Amino acid sequence: MIILETRNLKYTYPDGTVAIQDLNIEIMKGKKIAFVGQNGSGKSTLFLLLNGTLKPSQGEILFRGVPFKYDSKSLREIRKSIGIVFQNSDDQIFAPTVFQDVAFGPSNLGYSKEKINTCVQLALEQVGLSRFKDKPPHHLSGGQKKRVAIAGVMAMEPEVIILDEPLSNLDPVSADEIMDLINEFNHFGSTIIISTHDVDLAYRWADYVFLMSNSRIIGQGTPVEVFKDSELLKKAGLKQPTTLEIYHEIERRGLAYGRHSPKTIPELVNTLKPLELMWVEVPPGVKEGDNLNLGVMYGEYATQSPYEAINATVLHIHSDGRAVVELKRKGIKAGGILLYDTENYSLPEIKQILKKGEITFVGAMGKKSKILAEQDGIQLDVTSGVIDKSILMALCGKRCLILTAGGMVDHALKRIKEYVEKSGIEFTVGVVNREEDCQWLKESRSSPETLKI
Amino acid sequence: MTNILDDYALISPLRHRNNWLKLAIVLFGLLAGVSSRSPIPPFFIALCMSFATVTFGKAPLSLYVKLLLAPMGFAVIGVFIIAFFSGTGPELLSFELLGYPLSVRADGFELALLVLARSISGMCCLYFLALTTPMIELFAVLKASRLPESFIELSMLIYRYIFVFLDIALSIKYAQTVRLGYSSFRRSIRSLGMLGSTLFVRSWEQGDKLFLAMNSRCYDGKMALFEVHRPVRAPEMLLTSAYFLLTLALLYLTKNASIV
Repeated sequence: MIILETRNLKYTYPDGTVAIQDLNIEIMKGKKIAFVGQNGSGKSTLFLLLNGTLKPSQGEILFRGVPFKYDSKSLREIRKSIGIVFQNSDDQIFAPTVFQDVAFGPSNLGYSKEKINTCVQLALEQVGLSRFKDKPPHHLSGGQKKRVAIAGVMAMEPEVIILDEPLSNLDPVSADEIMDLINEFNHFGSTIIISTHDVDLAYRWADYVFLMSNSRIIGQGTPVEVFKDSELLKKAGLKQPTTLEIYHEIERRGLAYGRHSPKTIPELVNTLKPLELMWVEVPPGVKEGDNLNLGVMYGEYATQSPYEAINATVLHIHSDGRAVVELKRKGIKAGGILLYDTENYSLPEIKQILKKGEITFVGAMGKKSKILAEQDGIQLDVTSGVIDKSILMALCGKRCLILTAGGMVDHALKRIKEYVEKSGIEFTVGVVNREEDCQWLKESRSSPETLKI
Repeated sequence: MTNILDDYALISPLRHRNNWLKLAIVLFGLLAGVSSRSPIPPFFIALCMSFATVTFGKAPLSLYVKLLLAPMGFAVIGVFIIAFFSGTGPELLSFELLGYPLSVRADGFELALLVLARSISGMCCLYFLALTTPMIELFAVLKASRLPESFIELSMLIYRYIFVFLDIALSIKYAQTVRLGYSSFRRSIRSLGMLGSTLFVRSWEQGDKLFLAMNSRCYDGKMALFEVHRPVRAPEMLLTSAYFLLTLALLYLTKNASIV
């Protein structure tokens, strides 16, 4: 469903500078959208147009198929539904305390005192700043200010959240926390629109990318489509995402094959498989192009995980009954990743899981879970880029536990399952303290051969 | 990051007590100190307030002493002048300085002590307020005192942006210093002028951005203020009453007493 749409949008600043022209975009509900372009390409102006702050010189903007009207009542509705987080948090936070700032939006919507209170508490809890509610903003760090700004918008429960350069001036850990937050909101159904000139971020995060240059859209599509086109990128004044660039170099040197577009480091690592050929004796009747099942191998024959199911495609049959085959390995039981929902948190349970599940690697996602872990002295091995690092550890046969809460559990589960599906390397994924029980605690003792491949 | 009084007030445990109670204590102290005829009650008030600020309010002692010393300097000079140049009655002390006869008389001495005591008690009362009640707590008090809404909203915005502009000013000053903007007197004047004008332009721009930010969150001309409800607890009430009663008793007892 299209939630936001522009038709022939044009905006000229009072001094005659054209900031936006011929802009036709459609934004789908519930997606993660990135506008990528150089500084001054018109992203910020576009966002002010989408929020109803600026009025287009030409064309129109439609929200849920209804054109924007610019009387104060309609604008209120639009601004309630489309929240915007500015690039510089100091521009956005103006109240003397964190609580008052977050409460500003809800109180303007005419909520009752109790409702405002619950809204604000909830928003602050989500961004992990409940303890800071009576602090003045000048006592907060950059990342905290950014989270206050986001909470201020979240408290109004918008359907679309627009973030202008959300990660500018943030250290990597704070940046990761902000992205976690954004992903969580997206998981709960909010449409997220960000602007950035960080191609790596847009490439790995977005569902759909708009490339902007000189106040126009010069390209759009899924990140894989858009960032493959290096001519287009050059036109936009951008470069290719690092993972993609590395992959192309590796491919050119023949160390990887398959025309992938790896987005994350685990995916990139997974492409590092040269064509593996082998002489095997084949039974008569096998033709070129057939698939052979070579069974399960272990020990020195299994190169990527303790046990591997190996299939082979016959490429060429020699006259003496031997054939050249291309091997396809599929790992069975590498490590595993276990998710723990900290919403139903109990320390003894975690301790038991750590011990019984032979977990060697623990990570936490989301501010709340990190604070919990810190309080109870759970040693965290990783707090940023948790999913990727856990996948890498699982590939090396380690067992990982990720502490996280709410929507991020599903988000993580989805990401990891996607990886398993795409890579074909199997490892267990599960949520411990939910209805469906932990799988691997049961399966760990059964032999891998009995598993169905 | 504690470099202004407000920062100390923000971390003070007394911040989370009832604002009205604190205000009442301060007002009472000021009035009682000023209306006392003898220096004893003001000294008593100063002692109590200092004790409360440092012990309950957890203000660092060294900071507190430093803070007191600054206005004390002025007070002491004034007190000397009063002691030497006013009053009648028996001479307590007299000597000659460069041929001028100087003497301290009983009346003058009494008056000087009273002035000193009153000014110290006043300062201690105000420091108690300044070190335990940050500005952000006072907005609710301002509102309850029926000041115009727009005045309160403005003061809230001003409070917030003082710190934003302080940051900007400091970074501009730094940028100027590293490029030798303050190497001579003439250059300093020039640089300072540039700093001022840049700051003015920045604050203008910031005003625009502020309006934008408020509008994008449905600003409708009113900024709500949320007062945290903090009931006065029994121990606080008891302690305050005891302090009030003691001070009043002292006031009564020292009504006609003189020190000298």
